[in-house]
Amino acid sequence: MLVTKPIAELCALLIDELHGELPSRIFAMLLSKGRSTVPQLSQYTSMTPRQVRHGLAVLQQHNLLFYHVDPGAELAFYEANPDHAYNLVRTGKILEMIDTTFGAPAKDVMQSLLLSGQTRISDLVAAYQEKIEQANKSAPGVGDDGDFGAEPNGADGDSQSTKSGGPLVKSTAHLNTILCRLVEAELIDVVHAKSFESSEDILKTVEKEVMAKYFPGGVKGNKAKAEFQERIAEGLRKVRGESKSLKRKLEQNGTAAKRRRLLSGISAVNGVHDEDMDPALDPRQVIRINYEKCLVDLRNRRLVQYASDMIGETTAYVYGVLLKLLTKDLPRCRSDPVMDAEGDNEESEKGPGSVTTEQILDNLKTSVDLSLGIGKAERRHISSTAAEKIESFPPKKKRFIEETEVDGEASADEDEGDDESSEESDYDSDYKAPATNGTNGVNGTNGTRVKFEEAAAPKERRMDRPSMLRQHLLILAESTQRFVRHCGSNEWTVDFIPVMDSLREAELDSVIERTCGRQGLRLVRILRAKGKLDEKALPNVALMRKPELQQKMLEMQTAGFVSVQEVPRDLKADVKKSFFLWFCDVDRSYNRLLDTSYRTMVHCVQVLEALRQKERDVLETTKRTDVRGREKDTMRKSYYERYSRFLDCERKLFAQVMRVDDLVSVLRDF
Amino acid sequence: MASDGKAEDSVKIQILKDALYDEMRQHGSESRAFSQKDILDLNIIPNGNLELLLQVVQRLCDDKLLVGIANHHAGMAWRWRSKEEAKKYTTLPNDETVMVYSIIDEAGADGIWNRTIKNKLNMHEAVVKNCIKFLESKGYIASMKNVEHPNKKMYIKATLRPSERATGGPWFTEGELDTAFITELEGIVFEYIKTKSAYRGSQPHPGGAAGAGTTKVPKRGAVTAGETTARGTKRSATEISNDDTTTSSPSAAQTKGTSGGGTATSKSRTVFLPMPAGYKHYPTVAEIAKFIHDTGITNNTTLGEADIQQLVDVLTYDGLVEMVRVGRRRGYRVARAVKQDTVPFHKRQKEREAGNGLDLPLVQGAEPLSNGLTEAPCGRCPVFQLCEEGGPVSPSNCVYFLQWLELEDLPKAVAPNVAVQP
Ligand code: SF4
Repeated sequence: MLVTKPIAELCALLIDELHGELPSRIFAMLLSKGRSTVPQLSQYTSMTPRQVRHGLAVLQQHNLLFYHVDPGAELAFYEANPDHAYNLVRTGKILEMIDTTFGAPAKDVMQSLLLSGQTRISDLVAAYQEKIEQANKSAPGVGDDGDFGAEPNGADGDSQSTKSGGPLVKSTAHLNTILCRLVEAELIDVVHAKSFESSEDILKTVEKEVMAKYFPGGVKGNKAKAEFQERIAEGLRKVRGESKSLKRKLEQNGTAAKRRRLLSGISAVNGVHDEDMDPALDPRQVIRINYEKCLVDLRNRRLVQYASDMIGETTAYVYGVLLKLLTKDLPRCRSDPVMDAEGDNEESEKGPGSVTTEQILDNLKTSVDLSLGIGKAERRHISSTAAEKIESFPPKKKRFIEETEVDGEASADEDEGDDESSEESDYDSDYKAPATNGTNGVNGTNGTRVKFEEAAAPKERRMDRPSMLRQHLLILAESTQRFVRHCGSNEWTVDFIPVMDSLREAELDSVIERTCGRQGLRLVRILRAKGKLDEKALPNVALMRKPELQQKMLEMQTAGFVSVQEVPRDLKADVKKSFFLWFCDVDRSYNRLLDTSYRTMVHCVQVLEALRQKERDVLETTKRTDVRGREKDTMRKSYYERYSRFLDCERKLFAQVMRVDDLVSVLRDF
Repeated sequence: MASDGKAEDSVKIQILKDALYDEMRQHGSESRAFSQKDILDLNIIPNGNLELLLQVVQRLCDDKLLVGIANHHAGMAWRWRSKEEAKKYTTLPNDETVMVYSIIDEAGADGIWNRTIKNKLNMHEAVVKNCIKFLESKGYIASMKNVEHPNKKMYIKATLRPSERATGGPWFTEGELDTAFITELEGIVFEYIKTKSAYRGSQPHPGGAAGAGTTKVPKRGAVTAGETTARGTKRSATEISNDDTTTSSPSAAQTKGTSGGGTATSKSRTVFLPMPAGYKHYPTVAEIAKFIHDTGITNNTTLGEADIQQLVDVLTYDGLVEMVRVGRRRGYRVARAVKQDTVPFHKRQKEREAGNGLDLPLVQGAEPLSNGLTEAPCGRCPVFQLCEEGGPVSPSNCVYFLQWLELEDLPKAVAPNVAVQP
């Protein structure tokens, strides 16, 4: 991540918000000065080395630092970890996701982990032990765990409401189970020696090792170079794999059946599972949250939201189930260019694998009515060949932009060419007798299809559940966004790169439409489809009057959505005669959007800070121990109103920051 | 003897002339160019006598019944001209006028700029002006407007209609883009595609909270994962469906719960639903063109398929419709069917005139999506570039945020985000 000023500012603000001012100042200093030692830091910040060490410890605890000790050197170098600092924004989202996926107790555990940073398992167990005992002693209803509220500034006032039914985690065995499940889902991983080295440092070390071990005489020739790269990638993968050691161990122990149950997460929420079945985790291991995997799940959620916006809720729900099954073993959203380069040939061909219709069916909630969300059409109005078209390979790279659909069409035609004859007959048979359809080569293999035919025969059509599911999947596959690819007769997969590109574009479009209106959007999309376009040609395509169009273009140029290039007609470069070519540089727009997003987030936090200053006296009061937790009863009415209004604003602002982060994630991380 | 021969010749030529002219008219329209060989092959000139041919053609040219045109590849060629036209030429008072008229004649339906006439003929401006005046008064030529060069004074033969290129096609009225006409037609085409490409069905009414989350703009905090915010709404969602889901947001989860579980009270509402995959009847441009033709909305302009295609393309660029290929058919369907208004646009307009629903935005199609940036005041802030802590405008003294947080009432005009929210 390239650290620009707004990001640095945002990170510092976030750390200030969560961990206090001291670490925040040190962090900001590290970002601006680069890697530094303790004495250097104390000089920059004019703090005592003791204070600096204290701050560093906090940062270290929360994984916000890298450090590096050169062999034989006395002092360690510290370096900021802006990625993790930025991830702090996602805390709330991750917790919510854990809550919906794994249930409230898991969320509680995750929250503890988020608050205490990386933790030794034994410490976590001890903390919970104490809590459980306390709760058992003091009877139900008290469990006030203020320590575990997310916001340290009193916003956790209402956190008690959820805790009314005694402790969420009932026993240490229960805790163990939760941890096992989170580890298996890769949402938690293990901290190891290399966790605190920046990726550049790790790369350097690995490079050195590989050099020493395999190429003592230096790397010569293309072949050796390739091998060198491969060895490095391998070494890096090994380092990366270390954090998954706990998961591997679990997989060795656990039976496959149990694992399945754990992953599909059917029983655990109710707390009625055999806790003894889970192996006890090594108490000495230090664990932390694995943001990479969390992002994969967050991306799934975002995509479901997207599908819901574009198609409908029921279809989106089906999509969610599909995504979840598909990404179960996907460790990260974007593959690493170095580490995953080697696997590029085989792995990326396969992509994330595929999911069968039956698998999806097995995981759908029984309460969901699949008949909703799709229109009805007579059987003969549907071309099943077109709908069921199988695309075994992901679209070619160049095809992911919308406009290129034009050449996409051409190749689609070619594909069809193969089974031209069968298709022809299918067209006819559609009109004559639907019954013959079942013999069609493509559909013949799948049983659900045949049932569909039978069900279609009577006048009032009741489709069975598999057919309805299939309809949703086919709609997803047919969508212009290409949510799903129908990659085998009963298999489905998702090509994340094109889908995410389309989502990014949709986000950009909505910003354009909301700021420059529909005509602005129209112009941008014309440029996107046609490339560079002469100013004189635009009005004709856009069907807009020239003056209005020019004004719109200027407006959008200022906003950074389009750019113009002047091409002189002759050597004299007479401006009056020059061509003006408009174009839109999508990447530039994205970067601009990102920058705006960071700054908006900074502003939100700063507004909050200003509010805090304004309501200082009220907030001071709420910090008193005799008031805390009983604000409503103890405070004067006007004070309490101001307080609750402040909480309202705080909530809105935080929520807004997270909404903006949704956009940042889409543009940058997913 | 000699004179006899001449007289005889002239009679012969006169006969040949008429015969050739008639024969040429038989063989093609006024715009056909006849090469020398073409004319010989008409078998009017005996024995392919070139000299005779030359004489005859020359006479016809003098009578303005034939027009010679220089063709780069084929050499000389001729077109015939109608007798009436030829008469016009012969009645013109002087050579200048003839030249001006003929150059305008040649320009055809595209018309010609008066400066070009002057330059081409190398005549004095006043002379050209006079000629034009005379021709205009006679009703032989007319002035016209060209959309590509709206400021140039152009002339065209009065009997011709300006070409598409000059008028700008059906979208132009008197050289101006007729935006009102276009907008109206766009509306009609969009409604047509909408109703033809989506299924009008009913769906259980989602709970109030879900409605707010998905259809209205989640103004602030509604769709979030706020640690504190989430709790209130989310509990219910998880209680309903406490096995796992990867649902998008608490509100969506809730909808699923209510609609799926059939939690009683849900009413149904009319919505548009997407068609099943492989639907073969998404309207094509040809069908849309036919529909527009049949309605007779465009009684005095003829719209070809290409014109309708242009319109549909604009709708596509606007993100209102999308192209779908089903088999070999290229149809169009409405984008985001579920989010479409089920009340036709013109009805909405009527309602509006009656004073209802003024708070709703009057635009075609679904409301644009929104994201964190378009909702926050900063996303549309006029002073965003200047805003910084310590600067003249800063978050700590930001009035827009105060208004957004409802801490202060501002006159609406000042706030930048009014436009964002419907
Ligand atoms: S003035 Fe307010 S709305 Fe504008 S950029 Fe600054 S904080 Fe945002």
